[in-house]
Parts: sequence; C-alpha cells; structure tokens
Amino acid sequence: MSDQRRGIAGGGDPDGVAGGAERLPRGIDLSRRGFLATALASGGALSLAVTFGCGNRNTTRVHHAEQSGELAANMYVTVMPDGRIALAVNKAEIGQGVSTGFATLAAEELGVPIDHIDIHFADSHPEYKTSFGMHQTGGSTSTNEAFGSVRHAAAAAREMLVAAAAASWRVPAGECSVGNGRVHHAASQRDLGYGELTRQAAHLEVPERPRIKPAREFTMIGKVDRRIDVRAKVDGTAVFGIDVSIPNLVHAVVLHGPVYGARATTVKADAARKRAGVIDIFAFRAGVAVVAEKYWQALAAAADVEIEWSRGEAAGLDSEKLRLAMRATTADGTTTRDDGHAGRALAEARTKLEAIYEAPYLAHAPMEPQNCTVAVNGRTAEVWAPCQSPTVVQAFVAEAIGGDADQVVVHTTLSGGGFGRRVVADFATQAALIARQVKRPVKLIWSRESDMTQGSYRPQSAVVMKGGLGADGKLSALTAHCISQSITLSSGKILGAVVPGPKALRGVVVDSLMAMFASNSMGDLFATEGIKDTPYQIPNLRVEFTPVRTKLPVATWRSVGHSFNGFAVESFIDELAHAADQDPLAFRRQLVAPASRQRRVLDALATLSKWGSPLPRGTGRGLARHLSFETEVGEVAEVELVDGRIKVRRVYCVVDCGIAVNPSIVRAQMEGAIIFGLSAALDQEITVEGGVVQQRNFDTFPPLRMFEAPDIVVQILDSENHPTGAGEPGLPPIAAAVANAIFALTGTRLRRMPLQHAWNERGGK
Amino acid sequence: MKLVVNGKSLEVEVPAETPLLWVLREEVGLTGTKFGCGRALCGACTVHVDGVPRRSCVTAVGDVAGKPITTIEGLAAAPALHPVQAAWIEENVPQCGYCQSGQIMTAVALLRARPAPTDTEIDDAMSANLCRCGTYPRIRLAIHRAARSLRGDPV
Repeated sequence: MSDQRRGIAGGGDPDGVAGGAERLPRGIDLSRRGFLATALASGGALSLAVTFGCGNRNTTRVHHAEQSGELAANMYVTVMPDGRIALAVNKAEIGQGVSTGFATLAAEELGVPIDHIDIHFADSHPEYKTSFGMHQTGGSTSTNEAFGSVRHAAAAAREMLVAAAAASWRVPAGECSVGNGRVHHAASQRDLGYGELTRQAAHLEVPERPRIKPAREFTMIGKVDRRIDVRAKVDGTAVFGIDVSIPNLVHAVVLHGPVYGARATTVKADAARKRAGVIDIFAFRAGVAVVAEKYWQALAAAADVEIEWSRGEAAGLDSEKLRLAMRATTADGTTTRDDGHAGRALAEARTKLEAIYEAPYLAHAPMEPQNCTVAVNGRTAEVWAPCQSPTVVQAFVAEAIGGDADQVVVHTTLSGGGFGRRVVADFATQAALIARQVKRPVKLIWSRESDMTQGSYRPQSAVVMKGGLGADGKLSALTAHCISQSITLSSGKILGAVVPGPKALRGVVVDSLMAMFASNSMGDLFATEGIKDTPYQIPNLRVEFTPVRTKLPVATWRSVGHSFNGFAVESFIDELAHAADQDPLAFRRQLVAPASRQRRVLDALATLSKWGSPLPRGTGRGLARHLSFETEVGEVAEVELVDGRIKVRRVYCVVDCGIAVNPSIVRAQMEGAIIFGLSAALDQEITVEGGVVQQRNFDTFPPLRMFEAPDIVVQILDSENHPTGAGEPGLPPIAAAVANAIFALTGTRLRRMPLQHAWNERGGK
Repeated sequence: MKLVVNGKSLEVEVPAETPLLWVLREEVGLTGTKFGCGRALCGACTVHVDGVPRRSCVTAVGDVAGKPITTIEGLAAAPALHPVQAAWIEENVPQCGYCQSGQIMTAVALLRARPAPTDTEIDDAMSANLCRCGTYPRIRLAIHRAARSLRGDPV
C-alpha cells in the first residue's frame, strides 16, 4: 500500500472493505407539548426563550407567572405554585442515574427535600445544547457539567425566592434562610413557602452570580443515595421509548438485509398485504417496511414477506481477514504524541518487548431494542425516542423528511440501556421515512436481530506496543501503534448535526472536516485515547494511528477508544513489569507522579485488595488502572480456571471521580461497567463473513449471567474536587486486570479479546 | 378468546398463535412486560401463568387462554408493593430498569418455591434473566432481603 497512513482497506469493493390511551413519559405535560406542536404547525420559531425567558429580566416570565403562578427561573428550574420544583433534565436517563443526580444537585441549592422535585426530560431546544454543541448524553459528562450548571440554576432560583420574601417583609435578604421549601426570617419568626413567592419573584432579575454552597455545607450531595426513578422501574409504570402511545399510532417492522446497506431488489408480499391490520409494505433505503395497525400484526405479516437483496455496502467484508491485515501493518501511522526520541531509546534499551493486542467488533445490545415513534407533518416532525442525542435525532429526521432540524421536536424517553449506541439515530431516520410514507404517526421497533446486525459497532482494533527497559529496570521508551476503524469518520452525519450555520455552508464545513480526518493528517478523535494521554511518566513515548476502512458503521461504545486501548496499555505495562522482575503494582507506582490521583488509587487498591497476600491455590490476581473521562479507576481481579472456563470470582475497584454526588449510583456504575466489560473481555465478539454479521441474538452474543457475576467491592475515594465521569471509567481496566490475573495464574499471556476464545484456541494452556 | 390477567377476565380478538407478550402490551394495555429478544433468550418478557414463570414472547396466547396470568402490574394492588418490589427499591437495584419486570417476576416465583434460597439457588433461578447494566450483585442482595421480609425475619 503506497500510502498506508491513509489506512488499511480490507479488500473487496473499490471503496474499501473492508393500546388506546395516550401513554407518554412521565413529566411531559400535554399543554407544553401542545404549545410546541402548535408552534411547529404555525411555522413559528420554536423557542423556550419565548416561554421561559432568557436574559435577566423578562416580561414574558412575569406574564407567565401571572397566568400560571409558575416561576420559570431559567431553563432548568421552574417553581410551581404548590411549591414543588419542575426540573428539566437535558440528559438521557440510560440507567446511569442522571435524573437522581440532577435532582440531588437542584435540591441541595434550593433547600428542598429531594421528593419535592419532579424531573422531566427536556425537549430538544438550542439552549439545551450544553456539551460538544449538542443536546446529548455521552462522554461521561453529565454530572461533571450539571455540577456547575444545575447548581447555578437552582441557586439563582433560590435567591429570587429569598429576595421576594425579604422584600415583602421589608428585611434584608441576608437575614433570611431557606429550608424545606420555605424562606424563613428568624428574627421576626415569619416564613413563606416557595409556592407563595413565585409571582413576586418573577418580577426580579435573575442573579448572574448566585452564591453556591461550598462542599462543607452539603447536606444532600454525597449523602442522597436512593434513586428517584426506582419505584416506576419496579412496578411496571416506567415509560420507555417502546411503551410510548399516541393517538392514531401505527406500528412498523423493518426487515433489514443480510449485509449492511443491502437494498431490497424484489419484494413478494401479496399474501402479507392481505393479512389483518396491514397498512403498507414497501421497500425503502433501509430495507422493507411492514406497517400495520398493531405491532403483532406487522410481525405476523413480516413473516410472509419474501425479499431479494442487493449485494450491500459491506459485502466482501471479512473480519478475520481484516484482523490479519491489521496485524500485518508495517507503515507508520499518524503521530498523536511524540515525547523524546522513542525510536532511539527503544534501540538502546537493555530489554525490549513487543506485543500486539487485539479486540473485536462489539454490539452494544442494550436490553431495549432500538425503537422510535415519529409523527410527520409536512416538513416538521415530532419524535419520541429512547435516544442519547436529541440533536442527532433532529438532524437525522430532518434529512429524512427534507426539513430543517429546528422544525423537529424530540421528546427523550427513558432508555433501556444506551452504552453509546443511542448517540446514532438510524432508527429515527427509518421511523421518519415510514411515517412520511404512510401519513400516520409510526412506532418502529427493531427486532433483536436488527439491533445486533445493523452496525454502529465498537471498532475492531489492533494495538502494536513496543517497550524498552533501561539497565535500571525502568521503562525508558514506549511506542503504541493503534490500528482501528475511525469512529470519527463514521460520524459524518452526526458532525453535520453539530456544525452551526446555514445548511449549504454546513455541508461544506462537514465535508472538509471529513476530508481532513480521512487524510489522517491529524489522527483521530478517539482512536488513540487512553494511550496518547497516559499519566505514566515515560521519557520517550510515541503514539500513532492508522485507520481501517470498511463500510460497516462504527460508533461510541462504553468508554470508546479506552475500551481497547486500556486493555493494550495495561496488559503491556504488566508484561514490562514482569520483564523487569518487579511487582506489577510497584512498577506502576513508580511510573506515576508522587502526589497524583494515580498513586492515591493504587495505594488504596493495594490495601483494599490485600495485594501481595497469599491466595488460595488455583487463584490468580491481576491489576490494571486507567484514567478516562477525567476519572481514575484501579481494579484487581481474582480469577480461577474451572474446567477450562475463566471464572472471575472477585473484583476490587477503587475510583477517584471527584465528589461522588450519589455514592450508591457511582458504585452501581462501577459494578455495571465491570460486568459489561467482563461480558466483552471474556465472551463477546461480532464477526463478519462475506459481509454478513454472524451474531444475531443473545445466544451467540452472550452477556455475562448472574451465576458468573463476580463479587465486586467498590471503594470511592473521598474528594472535594469537581465531579468527573462515572458511567464509563470503570470499564477500561477490567479486561487487562483479568488477562493479567490469568498470566499470574498460568504464565500464559492472552493478548486477544474475547479472552475465553483466546484461551480455547491455545488449547487451554 | 378469554384471558384472565391479574385476576380480571377479558376478551381479546387475536389469532391463537399471537405471542402473549404483544397481546398483553397492545391489546390489554399492560406495557410493564418488555420485549428484549423475541426468542426466550433474555427473560425481559417473563410473566406468570398458573403461578409459573413463562417467556411471553414465545408463548402463543391460545395456549394460555383462560389460565391465570400475572404480570408485573398484578403483583400487588397499587400503591402497595410486593415485598420483592420493595426490596428492589431498598437495594437500589434498577439502573435502566428495562429488564427488571422480568427479573422481579422470576424472583417472586423463586421465593415461592424456596423461601430461604442460597446464593447457588438464586443463581440457578435467575441466570436466564439477562441484565446489560450489570445489576446482578444488587439483585442477589434484594432477593435475600425479600426472603427475610416474606418470612417475617428482620430485614
């Protein structure tokens, strides 16, 4: 390949290879929905500013308060006339506990019990584009972000209420205090409930710099542990995307081709069309849509449809051949970090090590299959979706119906898991195309098989690591060459949703950004993360990236590039420690700064896991640590081999994520990331043969089950630092911790995930 | 066809081969029972028929006509909760929550058969119910808690 810097093409095609009642999510109130729908239908500008006011003083806020008794203080906080707080959450609840987190932060600053807060998921609106220019949930950013914004919003509302009370009593605001949803004036023994103050408060300016509590005054942050969403999730009343019901709704199945991107060339559906309830059956760009009054009718009719398919975009892709091509990469990639003189230092090293670490494609496989409900009205649309990015849904639906993104209203429902999959909105495109065709609101529900075979996978990856130890046994040089399909390049349409400006100009900007990433002149947004930003102090360090090109879409998958790079770097550091004849924990400890979070976590982990203590015969112990999403996590796995099966018995986990707003939820995220990560580390892979994904359901893509779930002991380090990520950082260390434990137990180094397959291929030795 | 769901008799007009899951969700209007895999591989659709856990996604409605069917909505008369549901709240079990109806239905049946289950008995009963969020350790705790509560022991 003449210019391998542009990447590996895997061969093949020339482009490269490679019921009835309305059921809505809790918190969406119909009057507001009606307002949005009306604004859209009339073609009027859709703006929360109209209703809730931005800027410090707003006649609309006054008018709104006079009409409704509500103090719409800002985009997050509305104080209701009964004193309850309506809190807008502009993040998706995908299980990570963000609704409880937001409620805790708001309750802390407002001085109300948490059960005075009613959260609702914010509908799409430009003001809610608070991360990466998007209204989006990802990158473990929600609490990090809300710790500033939501506390600020709640504190501003509190100060307005206090000022209103103080004015009515003609006392200085500084003499007043708040508690239990009331403003008190101790000296005169007077108090007023928040609900009694909304109208007066609406006349006041919104303070720009309200006082926000320092950590020592917290009464809820770090203490509130009960999730606010559990009741609805144990009594069957929680409304997920799949449960949404609106009037006149019809239901759709999409039959997708065997190869990603295949189109239906012939459709035989005469018998299916005659079935009860069937409305339409038609081929479209994504496959064949079967639409019926009820979903069960669409399912039954779909079984009667015969389809011939075109070759498909991903035809010719073979993941095993691609893997071998990736291993054989010899040309240099694009350098994303270059400290010192890594090449020279490697050549001069006393001991040299080289190893390749591999990871397969992975599906997210959330328990709730992708689904979406869309009502199209000309070039406007209203969408109910279990999605991580309303901004992306807006863009995708707008493209499908030939409209503008700001004329698409997205209501975010609860999601049955997300893990990064719901940042992509291919399901929304399909639902919108079908709704436009049948001219009725449509709920599209993918089968599990579609969910698993329709792409947006964690990319297959190979990382070539080289390391050198000096005469003193210290790590003098490290190089990492990351080879994987670029998630950035798969995200062109998503990027299109973020770039501001007029449509035509946006297209040009996105095209040139994509061309820049395609040339690989700058590396990639995700491909070398976790290595290029390693906290290890290595004097000579070079990190490179070579992209792989296939037509199979890839996407963010819990912890993204860290998911495979964490495995590579922490396995290799372990190999280097053994080569240096040093204890793996001590070896890491001297590679990180003395006063660092890394060292703090390692020291706590040594104590928690009783590192160095004798283990029962037949048990191995392995360690890994990783920094991702600004959070440091260390894990020790204790592993046995039982009849050739890798059994992870216990995992110790120490996390430094700054202030843990809800400690039980942080622990749950660590437990969850460890179990999600173990499923991938041990057993899961997506393989492709002749363009056809081989795994179609949970039997061939097995998540860990209860009998294999290890005991997990989590310790959260005390911190007064700003909160950092929690949803993803527990994942990157686990695969390496297990592989390192297997090495400790058996002397065999497994360098390819899934580890159980690698173990079996070696004949269990 | 006559169905008996959560103690109520009702008539549905659907072909006998229609999966019970979709009859419950679309004809009866009970959406607490979830679709996860369509092939009895994940347990999200678990309901009780004659008190025994069944995968409603592969159960033809005709096979259960007239038999007592219990869904998550029928475990207790709202606002009351079944002790298993209460234990789920105490232990903060759910994350996304999507699989939990099925988990709870399986756990209720387990505790009926085994009032004081061991960890191994819990694993045996629960391992066909998948959870992608990884709530298994807390499910285990919640089942032990519910068992104590059902037996009248201090929780």
